[in-house]
Amino acid sequence: MTNKATTNRRSFLNKAGATAGLVGLTMTAGCFGAGDDDENGGANVEATDPDMLDEQLPTYQFLNNAQSYNPPRHDAINLMADQFGRIGLDMEVEVLEWGTLFNRVDVEYDYDFSLWHTFFTIDPVLELNSTMYSENTEPGQGNFAGYENPDADDLMDQYLEEPDADTRIDLVHDLQRTLMEDLPQMPVIDMPFLAVYNNEQVDNWEADLPHGFNSYWTMINLEMQGGEDTLKGYWPEALDTMNVLGHNDENKHTYNFVVIYDTLVRLDNEGEIDTDVSLATDYERVDATTMEYTIRDHTFHDGEPLTVEDIAFSYNYISENEVPVYSVQSNFIDEAEVVDDSTVRIHMPDDNPLGPFNLLVGTQIPILPEHRWADRDEPSQVNVEEPVGSGPLQFDYWDQGAELGLERFDDHFAPVDFEQRFWRIIPETSTVWENLRNGDLNYEPFGRIDRPLDENRDEDQISVQSVPATSFWHCTPNQRSDGLDDPEVRKAVFNAVPRSAIVDQILFGVPDPGFNVVTEAFGPLHTDDVTQYEEGVDIAIERLQDGGYGYDENGMLHFLVE
Amino acid sequence: MSKASFVVRRLLQLGVTFWAVGTVLFFLFRLMPGDPTAFVVSAQMTPEARQQVIESYGLNEPLYIQYVRFLENALTLNFGQSFHTNQPVREVIWTYLPNTLVLMLSAFVVAYILGIVLGVLTGWYRGSRFEKTTVVTALTARSLPTFYVGLIVLWLFGAGLGVIPMSGMGTAGQSYDSFWARIFTLDFLHHLVAPAAVLAFYYMGYPLLIMRSSMMEVLSQDFIDVCRAKGLSERAIMFKHAARNALLPIITAAAIALGYAVGGSVLIETVFGWPGLGREMVNAVLRRDFPVAQGTFMVLAATIIILNFIADLLYGYLDPRVTYD
Repeated sequence: MTNKATTNRRSFLNKAGATAGLVGLTMTAGCFGAGDDDENGGANVEATDPDMLDEQLPTYQFLNNAQSYNPPRHDAINLMADQFGRIGLDMEVEVLEWGTLFNRVDVEYDYDFSLWHTFFTIDPVLELNSTMYSENTEPGQGNFAGYENPDADDLMDQYLEEPDADTRIDLVHDLQRTLMEDLPQMPVIDMPFLAVYNNEQVDNWEADLPHGFNSYWTMINLEMQGGEDTLKGYWPEALDTMNVLGHNDENKHTYNFVVIYDTLVRLDNEGEIDTDVSLATDYERVDATTMEYTIRDHTFHDGEPLTVEDIAFSYNYISENEVPVYSVQSNFIDEAEVVDDSTVRIHMPDDNPLGPFNLLVGTQIPILPEHRWADRDEPSQVNVEEPVGSGPLQFDYWDQGAELGLERFDDHFAPVDFEQRFWRIIPETSTVWENLRNGDLNYEPFGRIDRPLDENRDEDQISVQSVPATSFWHCTPNQRSDGLDDPEVRKAVFNAVPRSAIVDQILFGVPDPGFNVVTEAFGPLHTDDVTQYEEGVDIAIERLQDGGYGYDENGMLHFLVE
Repeated sequence: MSKASFVVRRLLQLGVTFWAVGTVLFFLFRLMPGDPTAFVVSAQMTPEARQQVIESYGLNEPLYIQYVRFLENALTLNFGQSFHTNQPVREVIWTYLPNTLVLMLSAFVVAYILGIVLGVLTGWYRGSRFEKTTVVTALTARSLPTFYVGLIVLWLFGAGLGVIPMSGMGTAGQSYDSFWARIFTLDFLHHLVAPAAVLAFYYMGYPLLIMRSSMMEVLSQDFIDVCRAKGLSERAIMFKHAARNALLPIITAAAIALGYAVGGSVLIETVFGWPGLGREMVNAVLRRDFPVAQGTFMVLAATIIILNFIADLLYGYLDPRVTYD
């Protein structure tokens, strides 16, 4: 790391209120515990009267991924732990491989601080319900932070049952205010969707809410340039499966299935349902637990007609077989019923009605051809070699481990502008960029923020488009740990998170610092009207001193004697 | 001991070795930190759905039951089903193994032919400038990391001169009906040249140095003087008599190298985007796909063990002085 970079980082941290001496980014990018050396440990603050001090806050473990797994997040965690040390917390950074890390945080709850990159689907409350609901705190249930707040629970319950969209907006705004006041999760960075592409071959990239630039919306609006007729992308690792019911919801799978299979309704780039590009030409909520859809004439890729029977079959089949990847949606499906040749009704369970049914279920459940799936007993275990859907792209070939080829489905009601799309598996980043520059690839579906992006984004033929996404980095303290159950400590910790430095120094200035658990990508569901937390170590220290904590002569944080 | 007894005894040893390798692999993977289902489950799944996934892979069973099941299946060469692709492991291996074999065998054949010929020549012309230059080159090739050489080759001949493709086994956007239909195309050969050359450059040093040492030893023996006394040409002595006798150590080296070749070269496969078994093996380990990891390692171990066994048998055939005690 050059002196210039160290100096830049110094100025950022000073701006963020870091007052103690700094170590270079090279060191923070390593694996030391933030409380391990004298330079890091303890706040630079006047000691409290020793008679007033009770026990020191415990040593906290910040679990980190290996540098090779996710370099920016690794560096950010070290930087954050360093800053937490400066407000008097005794920090240890433990570097773990991904599987262990996930297990420790998400399953065993054996951690103190974590930094996760969470992708919300199209409705934030269902996700927040999983990770924040008070009844989900047992191991494996999702609320790994151990956060309990009956007020938040009540708001989430009301939201999920509320059929009226405007009322839901009010409820989710209240929920954001509650959560940002309590801070069970600290939104560190709002990660954007990125479209990186060769502008000599393709243009007009538009993102939609759930899938960003890899959405159906994008594909039908793309405009090929210079006579190019192939959309050429890559992915760094092999696809696992062509089974739409047997994948693990990773983007590399959903980005393909979303264009191979139609869903009942589709969103436009504003997150609104657009019946022009949906299988359903009309829909209505018949009552609190029933949705009715009118379906257009359409066919599957193999030429068989797509009927309302296929739609009813898809919903019933996925629900009855308890397909894991659609387990959340299955909770809200009681039965699908054919009304007539063009109408189908989806009934929700009487005791579990869902307000935003279209958003959470209608846009998610793939429509399967009954004639292909009816005889498959364990749908999630089936090895599908040639998927047949009805989406705008149809399967062409899958050279496993090497390349996936899709081609335009000419009979689709909203066809794409290109004839073919392939994804080549290229693990080596420098090769990807060389290919992007010379046109052997013309887009990067991965949207990775890294040094090669920073080095190449000013090239004439390379365009980089960034839009708010439904994903964010959040630092989540384990509220089962002493001290971290106090909102004042969490708020001070959030003050100490050097969000601007992480954006500018680690993420090349591409994303924005986070300030809300529901990002602005959610449009009207998002609100700016939440408690804002200024960055700064001094602000954090002052908050802790005001909040009933004191410092010993080493600058370590203590509870005060009651 | 007769040859038949030797073969029977070695076959029994092979059985025990396979069991030991399988057992070590089984427990080694389960001792590794990390939850194998962490890569399979999704944050969107309900806890019940996650449990369903775990049960479908048999990971909820006690370890000894998983072990017994693994041994039972291994006897029928059934290594289970991939956690990630839901394919039988055999299919996964058959998807990637041919890609690796064609790359590694191409490199292997080139490396051993060049290595043996250069080894003979350097042994014959020992002390010459040619010998010194060749040995230094071979040692350099052996010492340089293959991924580094690969990146340099890509940068120079791919990005710079544009004479080699940047990645993969064929031009993007083209599909073939079968593996065989693909590999007999100029496009495939074009993609094969660079990774195979880089690997051959690396592997060449080993047979070269072994052959050189062996040649030096053979050339010091009396029968070479007898050949000269009989008036045989230098070329005939070099290739017909000296080189033939010096070949024996190469057989063991080649058997072991060929075994490793089945495992592929992870780094070269990564740098050149070659969808081979080596890359898949590493991915399986990193993603805790136990069945695939176990299956691929078992195939690798079995190949090395069997090729060693064949090398032992060949030794006796090629050199009648070798006994089976």
